[in-house]
Amino acid sequence: MPDTLTAPREELYDKVSSLERPPLDRSARTAALERFFSLRSGREKPGRFWRVDFETIAPSADAIGPASGSVRVENAGDGVLACDLATAAREYPELFARAFGTTRIAKTKFGALAAAFASVGAFIYVRADRAAHEPIVIRADAAAGAAIFPWNVVLAERGASATIIERITGEGDAFVCGAAEIVTEENANVTYAVLQYAGEGARVITSRAARPGRDAAVSWACAELGGRLAAGDLLVEFDHPGARADVTTIFFPRSSQHVDVVSTVEHRAGKATSETIVKSAASERGQARFLGNIRIAPHAQGSDARLRDDALLLSPSAHVDSVPALEIGANDVKAYHGATVGAIDADQIFYMESRGIERSAAEGMIALGFFEPAIERFPTASLRDEIRDTLARKLS
Amino acid sequence: MLQPGLQIKDLRCRVAGNEILKGIDLTVEPRRVHALMGPNGSGKSTLAFSLTGHPQYDVTGRVELDGQDLLALPPDKRARAGLFLSFQYPAAIPGVKVANFLHAARQAERPGDLPPAKFRALLLEKMEQLGIDPSFMGRYLNDGFSGGEKKRLEMLQLAVLAPKYAILDETDSGLDIDALKAVGSSIAALRASDEGVNTGFLIITHYPRILQYVIPDVVHVMIDGRIVKTGGVDLAHRIEREGYDELRARAIA
Repeated sequence: MPDTLTAPREELYDKVSSLERPPLDRSARTAALERFFSLRSGREKPGRFWRVDFETIAPSADAIGPASGSVRVENAGDGVLACDLATAAREYPELFARAFGTTRIAKTKFGALAAAFASVGAFIYVRADRAAHEPIVIRADAAAGAAIFPWNVVLAERGASATIIERITGEGDAFVCGAAEIVTEENANVTYAVLQYAGEGARVITSRAARPGRDAAVSWACAELGGRLAAGDLLVEFDHPGARADVTTIFFPRSSQHVDVVSTVEHRAGKATSETIVKSAASERGQARFLGNIRIAPHAQGSDARLRDDALLLSPSAHVDSVPALEIGANDVKAYHGATVGAIDADQIFYMESRGIERSAAEGMIALGFFEPAIERFPTASLRDEIRDTLARKLS
Repeated sequence: MLQPGLQIKDLRCRVAGNEILKGIDLTVEPRRVHALMGPNGSGKSTLAFSLTGHPQYDVTGRVELDGQDLLALPPDKRARAGLFLSFQYPAAIPGVKVANFLHAARQAERPGDLPPAKFRALLLEKMEQLGIDPSFMGRYLNDGFSGGEKKRLEMLQLAVLAPKYAILDETDSGLDIDALKAVGSSIAALRASDEGVNTGFLIITHYPRILQYVIPDVVHVMIDGRIVKTGGVDLAHRIEREGYDELRARAIA
């Protein structure tokens, strides 16, 4: 069924005006909601087969409430501060303000919606030269029929390092509109992995942005594995030289799932390196679109930007649109993009069959292998195995 | 009555409408080594793919593997019946690790015969025989492999799967002398092993070079989709001296 505007605007304005709590006051929330209604998503329908209209998506006001869901943080160790957003805004206002709202997420349509209702979420702060030895786990769970707006913020000081794993689940027709911001100082190293496992009726729309400091490294690794609709907006803004960003996305729509991922790497400072790897498959009537932007500003000499995007079509009714877009303003840069969309290679299948492996098993192994260059970029062996197992189940 | 052997009778094959194989009769017996020689384009590789079930080949005739009707089976069942092809150009499969692939293949062909630890030991032993570095196991299947590495991996699969009948399609092409010797010794090792003592071989080759390392019992010459001459190892020597021209001239005449 096409998504339609399910709540009158007035109800959402009433709802937002009742949310007088950190991190945003009522007027900031109302302004954010106004931006949500006035901005366009920038996500045009790619074709007839596409059944989602982002311009009309909105949560039901009734779905927004304190019992909607939760965000929990586990595993934060020494040298790491992890708390909820309200605590961060109240107890550590200066630290929090160094990261929260400093990316351009809230200036986008769904980032504005996430800001308008932001209430649950985690603030993770890693002191200079400290390392979070264990991955920090953020769990965002939406109840059936509920809408949640998790907003997570990571601040890593000079030389700090942390790995964060965000797990998103949503039951029934849950609506999740979330954001994550990473801000680092020089030489910091932050890996942020997302495993999105929402149920087949859920809609999950997320915006994530990182601003790495000089010589810092940031890695986004997102696996969009669930949801009726999964839309992701991934952004890296390089304003300092010597930084590196890895952007990795895996998605696999099947039945009639829709996935829409936009990744953008802005090289505004020179000598920064970015490598974007997207591996996707679609089966049954699964639909997906990936838009990969790389923008290199005129003064960002010495930039090195690579984008690799491969999609595997596993049924004639599945569809993946792949749109790499490079805007290169500087002349002394390395920029590469490559994209493929296609079925499993017949020679690969025959080769495996000729070793006694049944066709369906061969296809499963080949398809799983196809994801491997992306899976490898996720943190921890157990997480990688979990992703492989999930993909294998989708393939069987 | 069950007749041991890979028996090929009046095998014909069309590819995209063109008849490439024009009636092949050939039997590879257990423990015997047959060499199939012929110039480029004579149909040797087509024979290999026809036997193993390439989906694009339209094949008629009859092929029995120890009495089992092979042409009625899909490629994976032909392999499980005991047929193996060493590919001239094996497919690269990124993301699938050599060790996992070999284990899946062994499991498919001989379900549950080796626990993982013993399988690993077998793999290491065969790799050592072939002079393959153990780091191979963690690499992606044929992905970024040199020509020689691909051929060694084919030989490793031959050793690990120990089929009843093995077709080696130009395994010698593109190999240096050391790699060629390794191929020869791995075949000898397989034939000396319990699992591979009965393996029958059909070695397809353009040049007789490999036959210094694997002495054939029977040599066939294929020209233009037909076997035009069958003889002993001296036939291979004659081809080495004289080439295919005379045989080709007689085949056309």
